[in-house]
Amino acid sequence: MSIIMQLENVSYIYGIGSGHEKQALKNINLKINAGEFIGLVGHTGSGKSTLAQLLNGLEHATTGEIYYDGRNIYDKDYDMKSLRGNVGLVFQYPEHQLFEATVEEDVQFGPRNLGLPLLEVELRSYNALKMVGISDDLIDVSPFVLSGGQKRRVAIAGVLAMQPKLLVLDEPMAGLDPTGREEILNILRNLRDKQKITIILISHSMEDIAEYADRVIVMNKGEVVLEGEPKKIFQFEEELEKIGLGVPQSTKVIHRLRKMGADIPYSCITAEESAGAIYKWLQRV
Amino acid sequence: MFIVVLSLIELEINMIRDITIGQYYQTESVIHKLDSRVKIIATLVYIISLFCFNNFSGYILAALFFLCIVKLSKVPFKFIVKGLKPIMFMLIFTAALNLLWTPGEHILFEAGVIVITLEGIKKMAFMALRLIFLIIGSSLMTLTTTPNQLTDAIEHLLRLLNYIKVPVHEVAMMMSIALRFIPILIEETDKIMKAQLARGADFESGNIIHRIKSMIPILIPLFVSAARRANDLALAMDSRCYHGGRGRTKMKPLKYKSCDFIAYFILLCYIVLLIIIRKFVPF
Ligand SMILES: Nc1ncnc2c1ncn2[C@@H]1O[C@H](COP(=O)(O)OP(=O)(O)OP(=O)(O)O)[C@@H](O)[C@H]1O
Ligand SMILES: [Mg+2]
Repeated sequence: MSIIMQLENVSYIYGIGSGHEKQALKNINLKINAGEFIGLVGHTGSGKSTLAQLLNGLEHATTGEIYYDGRNIYDKDYDMKSLRGNVGLVFQYPEHQLFEATVEEDVQFGPRNLGLPLLEVELRSYNALKMVGISDDLIDVSPFVLSGGQKRRVAIAGVLAMQPKLLVLDEPMAGLDPTGREEILNILRNLRDKQKITIILISHSMEDIAEYADRVIVMNKGEVVLEGEPKKIFQFEEELEKIGLGVPQSTKVIHRLRKMGADIPYSCITAEESAGAIYKWLQRV
Repeated sequence: MFIVVLSLIELEINMIRDITIGQYYQTESVIHKLDSRVKIIATLVYIISLFCFNNFSGYILAALFFLCIVKLSKVPFKFIVKGLKPIMFMLIFTAALNLLWTPGEHILFEAGVIVITLEGIKKMAFMALRLIFLIIGSSLMTLTTTPNQLTDAIEHLLRLLNYIKVPVHEVAMMMSIALRFIPILIEETDKIMKAQLARGADFESGNIIHRIKSMIPILIPLFVSAARRANDLALAMDSRCYHGGRGRTKMKPLKYKSCDFIAYFILLCYIVLLIIIRKFVPF
């Protein structure tokens, strides 16, 4: 697997020279493989959003280097615009960035900024809208009359239309109902499976991470404290709880049962898997 | 027309970022703890005093007085000086005007319409000093007083106007809300700007028309969010039964403490010293 993005000793300090400096990231080293689905978790204020903004060059690391596709993005002649095209970033509450008169035009904003021909722009934005499940009758209405969940999708489509190779999403499910959450997560899984887009998903929900991510990165106070497959990470229940995170409910149940001497493997992470494993164990005893 | 408004707003956003006024510097100091009414009155007296003397010893007194207070306030000097940045242009402009076109007897230099006189130099120096002290003096007040304390104090000081049916409380409330919203809107602008940058927007290149046009993706979401926030706030105030100033008590009522009286006394000493200098020191 090729490495799409790499961070070397990256630190970031907010407000240098203002009197109240704040170290948001400390010595981060990360490798992100092409085609991965990464879950980035951490307590509030742990630096997740800051990290996301470093990845597409919106913020410049105070120290350290970032490589995209093997090239240092801080090189003088590096084309930041192409980086922003390749690394899509969906902010927290992305619907707040909508501004055009119609849904379609808003989605076209990104690809138009990339300087693509009109036909390509229209094609990309139409495809992006289809991907997030916006029906044809909503394409020509004002984005401001849509419901919250629909706005969110349009905003995500606005980033998808740029056809990034790496997509970073900052809590894209915040404030959505369970069906809305699941739909967004399924869109992401589809993007990864069908279009081979690398995905970094910032989330507070361990349940979602457990089900969708190949690899979890846990941050605390600006540092990466744990990193690995969900089933490996979730074994550190106590450590996670110490830094204000938990493990999925089902994992908790399994850990409890194991403590009582039950012979259930750690490897089941989603609710369904756990239920199956517990059922099997019950049949055995 | 629209374009002019847009560029003004752009200017405004940049100005607000720079101006120190309205930026509280958090630290523990005697000056921070003073009653905000004392600070407002002292600042007013200080500003008026700057226009009262016409000799250099007066400015030395003003400078010494100011430096002592800065020392007490524990605000780093560079923060206070930062307040001067946005008025630098005005400062240089007025100084130059005074320097070049003040008539006088002691002519030092003459070339066409430009005449530099000793009186001109003196006037320029006074003018510049007054402006500088005025700005840094009021900056110091806002650096050591939160906007809320300030509006509280203003409301208190102006309460007599209530009798002539001026809605002092409402105006003060509006002011404190507006002040409270400035940092929020700046933060919001920053966020929206980043979100559009992430979509490949470009705010830096191109000619002026192009650049102003590129502000639209920031301004529209900003207005929408300001309206949304205002709406939320109004609802929140309504649901807590806000009904204006009548019968409303304060969570932190303004009360003079002993250090406030000491501060008034020091201010009085300053005024007395000032009068002495004006009367008896000739230069
Ligand atoms: N613009 C800013 N100026 C100064 N400090 C900031 C700024 N943005 C974030 N910080 C600080 O940097 C730290 C990391 O913030 P960040 O937004 O990256 O956290 P986060 O992990 O995304 O949190 P959340 O889960 O709440 O979104 C926080 O302590 C925060 O106070
Ligand atoms: Mg965040």
